[in-house]
Amino acid sequence: MRAAATILAPVIALALAGCESQPQVTFTDVSVTLPDDPIDLPEGPGRQAVLENCTACHSPSTLLQQPRVSREKWESIAAKMIEVYKAPVDEAAIPAIAGYMVAVQAAGADAD
Amino acid sequence: MADKATQSQSGARLTRRALIAGAGGAALAAPVLAQELGRMIDLGLPGGPSLRPLEPAFPGKRDMIVQRIRPPLLEAPMGVFREGVITPNDRMFVRWNWDMPTAITAAEHRVALGGAVKAPVSLTLDDIASAGEHVEVVAINQCAGNGRGLSEPRVTGTQWGNGAMGCAKWTGVRLKDVLAKAGVKEGATRVRFAGLDVPLTDGAPQFIKSIPLDIAMRDDVLVAWAMNGEALPLLHGYPLRIVVPGWFSTYWVKMLSTIEVLTGEDDSYYVAKSYRMPARPITPEEKDFDTVSITTMPPRAFITSHADGEGVALGKPLTLEGIAMGGDAALARVDLVGEGWEVPCELGPDEGPYAFRRWRVTIPAVTQDLAKIGVRAANATGAVQPDALNWNPSGYARNVIERITLVAQ
Repeated sequence: MRAAATILAPVIALALAGCESQPQVTFTDVSVTLPDDPIDLPEGPGRQAVLENCTACHSPSTLLQQPRVSREKWESIAAKMIEVYKAPVDEAAIPAIAGYMVAVQAAGADAD
Repeated sequence: MADKATQSQSGARLTRRALIAGAGGAALAAPVLAQELGRMIDLGLPGGPSLRPLEPAFPGKRDMIVQRIRPPLLEAPMGVFREGVITPNDRMFVRWNWDMPTAITAAEHRVALGGAVKAPVSLTLDDIASAGEHVEVVAINQCAGNGRGLSEPRVTGTQWGNGAMGCAKWTGVRLKDVLAKAGVKEGATRVRFAGLDVPLTDGAPQFIKSIPLDIAMRDDVLVAWAMNGEALPLLHGYPLRIVVPGWFSTYWVKMLSTIEVLTGEDDSYYVAKSYRMPARPITPEEKDFDTVSITTMPPRAFITSHADGEGVALGKPLTLEGIAMGGDAALARVDLVGEGWEVPCELGPDEGPYAFRRWRVTIPAVTQDLAKIGVRAANATGAVQPDALNWNPSGYARNVIERITLVAQ
């Protein structure tokens, strides 16, 4: 962590229970910088639909690490994103999204 | 156990595997994962994709398996568990459901305590720290989906190996002492927590979780500010998180900002609809079943001294070591089990019922391959790790005996 968030003597052992004075706990301001995803989605049909509808929430590396599942499963996952998570996914884009995921997973399996 | 490849080779096979989705079709882009992320680790996930990068680096973390970059999902390589029972802060797994703030101004942070209470209050960090006696608990923090990626058949969700767990010493005040600041009303049933992580999309469910009142009032359920004697790292929920020893970490809400006392059932999404598993064992084909919330952890054990496929010296004694946990009760015993035989293991120092405990066993002489050996933990309530996976569609609460084969040579 960049900011040194140190707590001075925050601990009192259970054996000391009943001790009147508590050790001082100091809370400092803390900030961190999180990394960006260095991965880009591979080219392929439907890539644009995935970029427009999925990558705002799902970084490419995560998409590429999922186990291989059927087109129907990808379609149901995309539908769940709309229904449960209120994601602004264009329903008309779902076939293209599912098609892209099926294709990249098939390519990945061939490469294995 | 399965972290075989720690360094990416320039060899074609690893590079090709590392592409995962990148190779194949003519139009597909150049090697993405392998080139841009140098070091990879193989989680041994059946059917793949199994390779994960150990990069990019996250603040305060070292050599973590990057399962997702935003919001972060970081897994500990199994090598982290080879020694001791405490997981260092920089190797503890990280799991966020939604994006969290990356800066906390301590003086401005408040915990709103309301719902079925006598007098709702807004508490500063100093109010929390002075709410009661300071208490330490050594407890395992484990994701409900730990080991999900090893499910067969595979299920979707974060594809964890077994490293979404860790054991730390947590310091804080008792939740019940914080609740006393507002006074719990008659008829209260549950206590619900929310943190500063919020959904990325309008209308999506906030990540809020609740526990029954009797659990909330336990002497070892904490509002914690320290982890292994240091301030909670931001990625672990600075400034405050809930600690519920023996329960899966989904209840250990981070960046605590709201405590709400409920009078009925909790119908919020992450309690009523998600983080649930079948109420009875099912087959992967079954679609119609009742579900229950995942709550307490079952016993588990791991061999940490040897990885699957490793060679061992024929004719020589062999010492195996590892860690075990009782889950929601103290560990009672650990047995090394093979095909048709078992040997009790010696247990190491006891750091408390909710901590890892080391085990060790010596085989006098290796006479042949040690095929499909594993360790089986049992806890004080009689719960024992099963031989077969309790398969469920979300891959929760995995505790099948984890087996490896060691090759005599």
